Amino acid sequence: MTVAPPPRPRTWPRTLAVWAVVAVITAIAASPLIGIDLGAGFGAIGKNWQNGVTKLVELFQLDWRILPRTLPPLLQTIEMAVAGTAVSALLAIPLSLWSARLTNPWAPARGIVRFVLNIVRAIPDLLYAAILVAMVGVGALPGILALILLDVAIIVKLVAEAIDAGSDGALEAGRAAGGTQFQINRTLALPDMWPAFTSQTLYVLELNVRVSAVLGLVGAGGLGLLIDEVRTFFHYDQLAVIILELLAVIVILELGSSWLRRRLT
Amino acid sequence: MSTERSNAGVGGSTPPASAPWSVAIDDVTVRYRNGVTALKGVSLDIAGGEMVSIVGLSGSGKSTLIRTINGLVPVTSGTVTVGGVRVDLARGRDLRRLRGEIGMIFQSFNLAGRTSVLNNVLVGRFSRTSWWRSLLGAPTPHDRELAFEALDRVGILAKAWTRADALSGGQQQRVAIARALAQEPRLMLADEPVASLDPPTAIAVMNDLQRINRDLGITVLTNLHLMDLARRYATRMIGLRAGEIVYDGPAASATDADFEEIYGRPIERDDVLG
Repeated sequence: MTVAPPPRPRTWPRTLAVWAVVAVITAIAASPLIGIDLGAGFGAIGKNWQNGVTKLVELFQLDWRILPRTLPPLLQTIEMAVAGTAVSALLAIPLSLWSARLTNPWAPARGIVRFVLNIVRAIPDLLYAAILVAMVGVGALPGILALILLDVAIIVKLVAEAIDAGSDGALEAGRAAGGTQFQINRTLALPDMWPAFTSQTLYVLELNVRVSAVLGLVGAGGLGLLIDEVRTFFHYDQLAVIILELLAVIVILELGSSWLRRRLT
Repeated sequence: MSTERSNAGVGGSTPPASAPWSVAIDDVTVRYRNGVTALKGVSLDIAGGEMVSIVGLSGSGKSTLIRTINGLVPVTSGTVTVGGVRVDLARGRDLRRLRGEIGMIFQSFNLAGRTSVLNNVLVGRFSRTSWWRSLLGAPTPHDRELAFEALDRVGILAKAWTRADALSGGQQQRVAIARALAQEPRLMLADEPVASLDPPTAIAVMNDLQRINRDLGITVLTNLHLMDLARRYATRMIGLRAGEIVYDGPAASATDADFEEIYGRPIERDDVLG
């Protein structure tokens, strides 16, 4: 006896429609009339590409003499990243539990926190740094505060989503045993959110090293100020050394965090 | 309202068997927000110390019925009285105290996998644990003792420090039973407790529940969908079909015809554990 499989559903019109929409949007965005004038950009490449190449060539001729000068600001950048990560991780634990559906059944309370964090995420980090430098003065502190704002918003969003993607079985058992939401969250939800939490915190630490290097551009401490200085004087050979240092720090962090992640699951 | 009763068990040395709770459900209807009516005017009286099974196909309203008894599912109309206290009227602290006296086990065990077996069992002490002890993870010596005793009773004391997700399904269900026992409950609810287990393990878990009823005298209500388990382990059987009670009588003597009436279809091979 041969089996009669059900007719294969027709999916290609839908697939085609999706691709058509993507193509149209891309075409509109790239058209000179409405969107970006790519033509002028490509034209400029033809005229100016040699400028870029000379910069790249300079980048590859490392000037190691700047190394001693970079170490104190590099250390400050790392300090800012670690301090910002530590504070925001602490703040993010209760806020994550507060803004996940499974760990906070009261929708309006969740909504308020999520709304505020959406606003926080929408504002560029450099703007925070600039405002905070104006408020508390030049130095590492405004940088750390800017990082905390950024980090809390990122960790809470991703960890709350991880909580809601999990199972509510254990939480139901806690409710059935007569626990308060606080007891349930502390004893049952916290251990289960731990992998997502550590993972996001480690990601944010790495992000902070990169971001805090930029924050210095507006006076918020760290390597940024030095980067701005050497770039202003076209010392690309020195800039390359700074970039290499940052790369080294990020690779070390990456190795450390993937080692930690393997251990923490 | 419930303070007098809920304080009675706090002494700890009092065996939970001292006063098993009765359950009185009167004309209960449950309609979910999505429009589904899970229970239609169900009335039921269960005396303290009974071992009752609730039988029905999935979707018949068994899970809803058992969850109205500890207020996990609020009733749309009707009354639910447990141990003389109105569950449907209880809110906040009163409801939590009431739930503290009612143990519950689940089809999928519902343990927190990434924490220790002991911590999972201590969940059974929630309703008598202060918030700061929960925050610090510092149970009273008495609560710890109760948790160890409960684990010993289901034969997995040795696993107390193991992470819950490192255990087998049968062991996890035993931890869940220990969690319920740590409550020193006066009533035990079980929602399809063996549906996720292989047959030998299922028998062992049903034996545990039977001992809880016989040795400790606790009222036990178990949702089941298998005929032979219902006949063997319950003294009384409630049949539920499409949200209505279609059978209420002794379990051992329930005929195949009775089960066909409950299921609303002929008996199939999958209706028995074997």
